[in-house]
Amino acid sequence: MKLKGDECLDMDLRRLWKRIRERRAVSVVVSNVILTSAAIAVSFVVLFWAQYRSSAYNEQYSEAMDADIARLKERLAFEYVFYNQSGSSLSVYLMNCGTIDNVTVRTVYVKDAAGALIQVSSSITLMQFNGTQIADNDLDRGEEGYFVLSSLSLATDAGYSLRVVTGRGSTFDHTFIA
Amino acid sequence: MTIRLSLRKRFRKLIIANSKGFSSVIGTTFMVLVMMFLSTAVFMWTLSQNTVYNEAVRARNQEEADRSNENVVALSGNYSVSGDNVTVKVVLKNAGSLAVQIINLWVLDTDPSNRRYTNKSLSLNMTPGQVLSFVDSGLLTVTIPGANANHTFASWFVTARGNTIPLEKEQAIIVAQLAQGIGSLALDFSAFRYFKYATSTRLANYSDGIKSFNVPSRTDIAFGAVLTNLDPSKQTITLNLYSQVWLYFPKAPGQSIVFYIVNVASNGTITTPYSSITIAFGETKLIVFASDAAGSLTRVSISSSVENLPCALNLLLLGTIGTRDYGQNIPFVSLYVYKP
Repeated sequence: MKLKGDECLDMDLRRLWKRIRERRAVSVVVSNVILTSAAIAVSFVVLFWAQYRSSAYNEQYSEAMDADIARLKERLAFEYVFYNQSGSSLSVYLMNCGTIDNVTVRTVYVKDAAGALIQVSSSITLMQFNGTQIADNDLDRGEEGYFVLSSLSLATDAGYSLRVVTGRGSTFDHTFIA
Repeated sequence: MTIRLSLRKRFRKLIIANSKGFSSVIGTTFMVLVMMFLSTAVFMWTLSQNTVYNEAVRARNQEEADRSNENVVALSGNYSVSGDNVTVKVVLKNAGSLAVQIINLWVLDTDPSNRRYTNKSLSLNMTPGQVLSFVDSGLLTVTIPGANANHTFASWFVTARGNTIPLEKEQAIIVAQLAQGIGSLALDFSAFRYFKYATSTRLANYSDGIKSFNVPSRTDIAFGAVLTNLDPSKQTITLNLYSQVWLYFPKAPGQSIVFYIVNVASNGTITTPYSSITIAFGETKLIVFASDAAGSLTRVSISSSVENLPCALNLLLLGTIGTRDYGQNIPFVSLYVYKP
């Protein structure tokens, strides 16, 4: 009986060993594991890449949207435009009546009544109404200021148009008689 | 073998026993989840950004609507010029439904010889329907070097919303017709005053004086009258040395006192001899009458014989208007002489 039991044990060990040595099914499992891992890894790569791209898009969109909103909030009122015939200078008095601070004047276009461009000025210095220069060269909400365009030859009693382009890209037009 | 058993076997064979393509299923599922997650996030974020933008557009539209609904009118506009000081006389009425803040006044001298302008910062808050009168106020006074009453002025107010309110000039015909009837110089009744002397030639408390219609007897005094030139032809009036204030007493027949016109420096000192005083059109000037003799200074007092009596005061103004002679008598002031 004991001999029979020993034989059974040997047989079981042989079967186990045979199973371990059997490699046909193992290769399928390993390959599946590898494929699945690769798929998950690629998925994560795609996830991170897509997230990166979408956040970049978000950033661009957000910047564009903020710029649009800031432009919407800008408003400049022309209080007075005075042409000094003897000094050939044009004084433009402005007020920021919008709802955003730091409105700068980037470019000023002067055109005649026919629309022909007379002068383009890009280096604009903003002054307070009392004649002192505005330190930050911009107009905050409710702030008033003026700039002077020099060496401008205009005909007296003729109509002209003025276009002020702000640093944010808003445009404000005004007509005046020299 | 039943059909049910057959299907179960086939399912086991396809799904469980056969693991080929399992990774593709996982990958695809993962990919779909990633895409759904990302697209949802981007969509929601874009939606929120659009909401922010729409809110900004709505706010902008509201501002534009408020701006176009502002309705302040400047009525009864007129200008008073004294030296380089130009006073804007106007009645402002907020005829709109919005509260308005007026932040600036611009005044422009449109005369070709003196094309100057100036502005004055204001802070006038007007509720709907409110009327502010600046007809008798000096608040809206600006300085324009070289300004003259003969010049034409233009002015406008600027509101905090960026609107401009032009000044509508008063119907000048009313003043002109009045001036044709009673003369070109108008007396500011409420500004009538008299002065005592601080020294032998200097008036005390000049130019305010004492604004009263009760004057002391036995005290050297002088009278001050504020005159405005409202000549319809806008000519300058020159007052000569015979211009005077004349007091007469109904209860004391034969009693009358005269105070001749004098020049007064800004510190109140009466300067002699008299040099003609000119009042340009629209200009307002304080004219002082102090002397018993024309062209010089002989101080005058009201005698005790007319104490406690009322008297009438007339301004007898003589000189030229433009190149023509001019004479005007302005009555209206009554005085009571009291014993000091």
